This record gives sequence, C-alpha cells and structure tokens, in this order.
Amino acid sequence: MVNPDRPLVQFKNVVKRFGNFVALKSTDLDIHEGEFVALMGPSGCGKTTTLRLLAGLEKPSEGEITLGGKLMNDVKAHERETPLVWQSLALFPFMNARENVEFGLKMRGFNADVRREKAIDWLERLGMEEFIERDVSQLSGGQRQRVALARALVTEPKILLLDEPLSALDAHLVIRMQGVLSKLQRELGITFVYVTHSQSEAFAMADRVVIMGDGEVMQIGTAREIYRTPKNRFVAEFVGRNNIISGTVTSAHTDTLIVNTACGDFTVSKPDDLVFKQNDPITFSVSADLVTIDVDRPETDNVVQCNLISEEFVGSVVTLFLEAADGTELKVQVQEKELQKINPKADIPYYISWPTLSAHVLDANLPG
Amino acid sequence: MIKDGVISFFLKAYLVVLFIFVFAPIIASVIFSFNSDRFPTIPLGSFSLEWYKLIINDPDIAKAAITSIIVAISSSILATFIGFCTAYSDYRYDFRFKGPYLALALLPPTVPLIIMALAMLAWLSKFGLSGSVLSIVLAHTVLCTPFAMAIIRLRLSQMDTSLEAAAWNLGASEWSAMREIVVPFARPAIISSLCLTAAVSFDEFAVAWFVSGLNKTIPVVILEIVQGNIDPRVNAIGTFVFLTSMTLVIIAQVIFMKNQNKGAVSG
Amino acid sequence: MTQANKKRRVDLYALTWRLPIIVWQFLFFVGPLVFLIAMSFFVVKNYRMVETFELASWERILSRDYFWSSYLYTFGMATFATVLATMLAFPASFALAFKVSANTRRWAMFFLIVPFFTSYLVKTFSWYVILAKTGVVNSLFGYLGLGPYTLLNTWIGTMVGFMTLVLPLLVLLQTLSLSQVDKNLIEAAHNLGSGRFRTIFNVIVPSAKIGLIVGALFCFILSFGDFVSPYYLGGSTPQTLSILIIDTTKSGNQWPRAAVVAICMMVTLFVIAFTSIVFAYRKPKS
Repeated sequence: MVNPDRPLVQFKNVVKRFGNFVALKSTDLDIHEGEFVALMGPSGCGKTTTLRLLAGLEKPSEGEITLGGKLMNDVKAHERETPLVWQSLALFPFMNARENVEFGLKMRGFNADVRREKAIDWLERLGMEEFIERDVSQLSGGQRQRVALARALVTEPKILLLDEPLSALDAHLVIRMQGVLSKLQRELGITFVYVTHSQSEAFAMADRVVIMGDGEVMQIGTAREIYRTPKNRFVAEFVGRNNIISGTVTSAHTDTLIVNTACGDFTVSKPDDLVFKQNDPITFSVSADLVTIDVDRPETDNVVQCNLISEEFVGSVVTLFLEAADGTELKVQVQEKELQKINPKADIPYYISWPTLSAHVLDANLPG
Repeated sequence: MIKDGVISFFLKAYLVVLFIFVFAPIIASVIFSFNSDRFPTIPLGSFSLEWYKLIINDPDIAKAAITSIIVAISSSILATFIGFCTAYSDYRYDFRFKGPYLALALLPPTVPLIIMALAMLAWLSKFGLSGSVLSIVLAHTVLCTPFAMAIIRLRLSQMDTSLEAAAWNLGASEWSAMREIVVPFARPAIISSLCLTAAVSFDEFAVAWFVSGLNKTIPVVILEIVQGNIDPRVNAIGTFVFLTSMTLVIIAQVIFMKNQNKGAVSG
Repeated sequence: MTQANKKRRVDLYALTWRLPIIVWQFLFFVGPLVFLIAMSFFVVKNYRMVETFELASWERILSRDYFWSSYLYTFGMATFATVLATMLAFPASFALAFKVSANTRRWAMFFLIVPFFTSYLVKTFSWYVILAKTGVVNSLFGYLGLGPYTLLNTWIGTMVGFMTLVLPLLVLLQTLSLSQVDKNLIEAAHNLGSGRFRTIFNVIVPSAKIGLIVGALFCFILSFGDFVSPYYLGGSTPQTLSILIIDTTKSGNQWPRAAVVAICMMVTLFVIAFTSIVFAYRKPKS
C-alpha cells in the first residue's frame, strides 16, 4: 500500500504560533498515499494543531504545506478535500443521520436524489441501515461514530483526518471501532491521519506512528521501532513501561560500553549512530517486558538487587514496581502465571536482570 | 430538628405572601375588569362585560392596538437581528475592545427609561423623526436588543465550537455554514427572542409616551386614561395586554425549554 | 488542545456581524445621550430651542431649592426602597434557594419573570384602586373595625408601587446568587457549631455578596428613575426628579432644563453603580 515515491502530504518547515505561544515548532513531515499514520503525544504536543493545519482550520505562520503536490497555505478550509472526524463528532444536532451524511454533498451542489442515494449507501456500508432516518440525539455512541465516518467519507476523499475519534467511547467499543477503521482504511486504500494520545490505538492501527511532544516531532517509525528503540528520553517515557537509567561511560569496547550508574555497572550495546567516549554521560532504556526477575542472584551481567514496592495487574500481565538500594525505580513486566515462581513478598530481596542486547541507548542531544 | 421545621414552614409561608403581593395587582386587575362597579371594593359588584364593550367600540383604542402591534413586530425583528449579530460576534470572535463593545450592547437597561425618553425625544426631533411610528420602533429596538442578545448568546454557548468548523470542513463557506448550521441551531432562541422583545415593546410606555406624538401605543393610551380619572376601562385593556404578553412569554419559554437540551454540547 | 476558531484578520464576514450593534447604538443610544449633554447647554427662546453653549439651564436648576429638595427626596426614597426591598426579598430568596425542591424553584423562577412582562401601568392602576379610601384594603380594615387609612398620595403608596416593580427581579437575582453558595460551606459552618443566624451572616451573605449587591443596585436604579409610582400612588408631592423631568419637558417645554436634571440623575447613578461594583468585587479582608 505504501508508496514512498510521492508523498501525498508534505510539511516543510511548518511553524504555527498563537500569539507568543509556539504550538508547532519547525516541522517536516511526509505522509504517503494509502498510509495509516497516527500522530501521538500528550495534550498540548501539537498533534491537533498539525491536523487543523492540514484541514485548513489554521494557517501556518511559516513554512509550506502541500497536498498532492499543490501548495495549500492559502486554500480555505471549505475548498479542501480533507474531511475530519472530530473528537466531539460535531454531528449537526438538528439533522437526522442521513441529512448529516448528505451535508458535504449538498455543499458541493449534488442534487437531492444523488445525495440521498450516496448517503444511504454509506450508512448501509457502515452497518447503519436501520438508523438512516434516526435523529442523531437518539443514536448510541458507536452509532454516532459511524454517522461521523460516513459523513466524512461520502465525498470520497483521498485523505481522512481523525481527531481522537474514539476517546468518548467505552473500552469495548473502542476495540470494535479500531477494527472497523482498520478494515475501512485497507478497503478504501486512502490515507488516514489519526490523532490520538492512546498508545494502544496508535500501535494497533497505524502503519507509521509520529510521536510528538512540545510542538515537535520526536520520532517517526513503526509501532515496533518506537516501542523497542525509542530515540530519546521523551519517547521512552511517553511509550511507558521503560526503565530509563542514566550514568557515565567508564570504558568503551568494540561492540559494547560499560556504564556506571547509581544502581550499579551495566553493559550496553554500542549504538550505530552515536559516538561515546569515556566519562560521557549516557542514558539507556530497557523495556520492562525484557527484564527478568529472580529470587536468587543470576550469574549474568546487568543485575540489580531491589525491593518490591507494588504490583499492578492488567489482565494476565503484571507490572512489578521495584526500588534499588539507591532509590532508582525499576519496572518488570511478567505474565501472571510466572508470578508464582517468585512468590512476591515485600520483605525479601529480588534480583532483576536483562540481556545486554535489550538495553537501548537514548540520544541525549535530542530534546525530551 | 423541630425548630428547623418551624422555621422552614414560616419561610415558605412568607414566600407565598410575597408571591401574593407581587401578583395581587395583576389578578385584581383581571377581576375588576369583569366587575360592574366603577369603583371596585369589597364586596364586589356583579359580573359585567361593560368595560370590554366600551374598549372594543373605541376607535382610538383600536388604532392604538394596531400601532402597538406594528411597533412590537418591527422592533422585535430589528432587535432580534441586531441581537443575533452581536451574540454571534461575541461567541465566535475575540477582538480588541471587546469589553467596551459588549458594554455598548448591554448598557441600555441600566439607563432610566425617563432619561432615555427625554434623550430620544430630543435627538429624534432634531432629525424631524419624533411623533412618528418609526421613532417608537427605533427607540424600542434600542431597549429590546440587549434582551435579544442575551437570549441568543445563551443558546449559542450551548453550541459545540467545532460544529461550524465541521461545516467548513465539509465544504461549506462561512456564509453557508451560517445559513445551514448556526441559524438553525439558534432558531429556538431566535423565536423566543422575537416573542420576548415583542412583549417588552408591547408594555413599554415611558419612551413611547415621549416620542409617539399622535401615534399612541396601547400603554400610552392607558397612561393618558389613568391621568384622567378612575376608569375601569384600564382593567379591560390591561387584561387584554396581559393575555397578549403572557402568550408571547409562554411561547418563548416553552420553545426555549424544549430545545434547551437538544443539541447542547454533551460529554 | 482546543484552539478556538478565532480569526485575527477582520474580514467582510466578521464585520457583517460586528457592525450592526455598533452603528445602531451610536445612532440611537450613544447619540441621544451625548445630545442630551449638549442640549443642557442650549437655551429656549420664544418657545424654540437654540443650539448654543450657555450655562443658563445649569445655573437655573442648580440654584433652585425645589431641585435640591426633589433630589434629596428621590435619593432618600430610592435608598429606602433598596433597603426595604432587600430585607423583604432576602427571606423569600433564602427559602427558594435552600428550603424548596428544585422543581418548585424552577416554577417560582418562571413566575418571577412573568411580572416583568406585565404592564407596570396596569399594576399601578390596580394598586390605586385597591389602596383608595374606599378600596379593597380599607374595606378589609373596616371589617376589623379599623381605618379607613390614607394610603394613596403618601410615601406608603409610592413604596407599594416600588416594591411591585423591584421585588420580582430582586428575588430572582438573590435566589440565583444564593443557590450558587457552596452547600458544603454551610454544612461545615453548622458542624463547627455556628448558629443559624451566624451562618447566614458569616457564611452565606459574604459568599453571595456580588449577587446581593447587584440586586440592590438594580433596585436603586429602578426606584430612582421610576415616575409611575411617585406620580400615581405618591400623588407627586414632593416631586421626584423623574416627575420634574416630565413636567419640565411636557408642560414647560424647557428641554435644556430637563436635560440638566437628567444628567444629574445619570451622574448619581453612575457614581452609585461604580461604588457598589467596586464594593461587590473587593476582596474580603481575611
């Protein structure tokens, strides 16, 4: 699906300021045809601003935005083909489902019969055949979601923008709608740009994830790349369940570095793209699910003795929160069924360890 | 606890007394209008439609009623239009001098009517407008606009800010979005505003008295009758005015209440 | 992340909605009031107003005793009406805010709006009939072997009229502000052993201060400017400022002098409004 040769959307040095507040720092971003891109970050990171710039609801303060090779900076919102599914859904409350879907066609001058036919087609396609003439106030959350989708898609756009569309839904509906959205995107083959703060939504659906923070793009990559090899501290912290450890390089070998930290000495793999000398400060992360916990000290490198502070159960996965002698907090993720092996009691020492390859060095020069 | 109950009881009883005081003159006026006595007292005289017959056959009152209706309709439409524009500007835009702008829009009710009346009379006379029906319309529009603005602004504050943007996003220009989305959304408030401002205009006498000249409205006729002597025709006219105003107020209230939750921002 | 869809550049569309009120208010609100000020410097010669700049009307009005006695009477009556109405309204508002169900409160609020849309003139006339020597009130007193009392053409008549005018609005404003007082605060005061009246004056009144003051301010503005009650129920003796304006305008045709009286009223109201709003929003000393 992904066609890397011709980006559908290009942001070149785009800056957006609101008065003195910089919502988006100089940003470059390519989005390709047929791609499912998620913009993810905490609130205030600039992800919604990026989406609004793309829809023409905000004008860039600097830089260029192109869509299909055409410069969009001065194209008004209503002259663009960039339908948006709103966080609040923004369904027109005094219209029924069909009238909502027809709206975009009406504004483009389609006659009533064509409008009606297309609107009904789309509502049926999204499983809403029973609710075509229903007032939107009488629809459930999931049904309203489908009306919003149909309304955005009825004009057959090349690109669909989605602003946290699932944030108002119940957890079980979110999973279902994720399925609906993924399937729809594959079938239509159009570009989806999906703004969310939810990692599970982004990782579940997107071909590429753009992590944003503080008005900047922090990392672009597949879900796996971002999860396993976060570029900097911001991404490592935002993605969560990473142990982030800082120290200094005591010696550099061919493939590895020895790092001295407050909670011990560790071996990490030398990163390909960064150079470290002796005494350089260094930060690395270890994903909590790659860490092992034992009652007896294992005979390997990278071991820390800790006390168990607390546990968190999410389904069959348990996260254990531990503390090293110096106060460093560490996290371990294990399957619930493995938990019995270590018999968690707060008052005995535990040993946690990880393979050298699991430690991933973060780029301290990048912001975050 | 018993003491609490007693206090509660007395407070509620007091509340009833206060409401009786507030409504006594209105109810009394309706009762007196059906009473045969020229000078009603207790015990009341017999039931009579005499006063109604008198006013129905009075051409001056009929003329005043027509003037009143023309003024009420014209000024309610003007006030609602201007109020809508102002409410929308306040809802949609942030601009310099917005504080003074809103003050300008909302200040008229704080100026005593008698002063407005004198100022209007002098100003409109300067342009040769005083004494015309138009002059009453102009003055009443000033008095009614703040109410229209307040009612419509209240409704707009229930509108999801992304609703308009959603319309642009789907290909509607700002003008189309106004026609297709904002106006339909505000429609209940617009109707309420038309009714309430018409009711305000229908009851206003001070300014109308000063600027109306020979084109008297109903309240001006009442004022002039009252200046003469005790004349129970006032009660009959008053009852008619009361019913008109109440109809308008109740329509406004019902429409506004019915739509209050529909389409309001949820979640 | 909600960036309000506010535009910086003023365009035709924005102006279409912003301009009507500005144009209208300048033509028919600010214009007349500014002209009123200008008019106070005009003079009337041979029954015609001459546009000039003379202080004659100011000197004439401000040097007359009847103006000052009328000013003091109007001010005194308005002040008394404000205090009386505030005291009469408070228990009712208190009951509405704390002692009745939400449903009763909603209906009561509706019925407090209704009088606003009923003719004040008709209500005044009604009181005129009710309060007359041979009216309903005195005939009721008669059954008790009392009276008859002279209620019309006294300050009592005027006050009855003022109360009819201001009480619905005042109760409405007071109830609105009282129902916004945090119920937990009252509960806390009770738990700390504060008595009923201490709770009311130390907790509830300070919390609802702004609403109470704004209500009182409206009371003052309305009674200060009203001419109907003092004229028909108070017998227009002594004259209030509004009656003075009417007489000067309608019979005397001395519009500049009426303008002077009007400006004096406006200045008074402005000072009162400014002072009370500053007082209302002043931070309480801890």
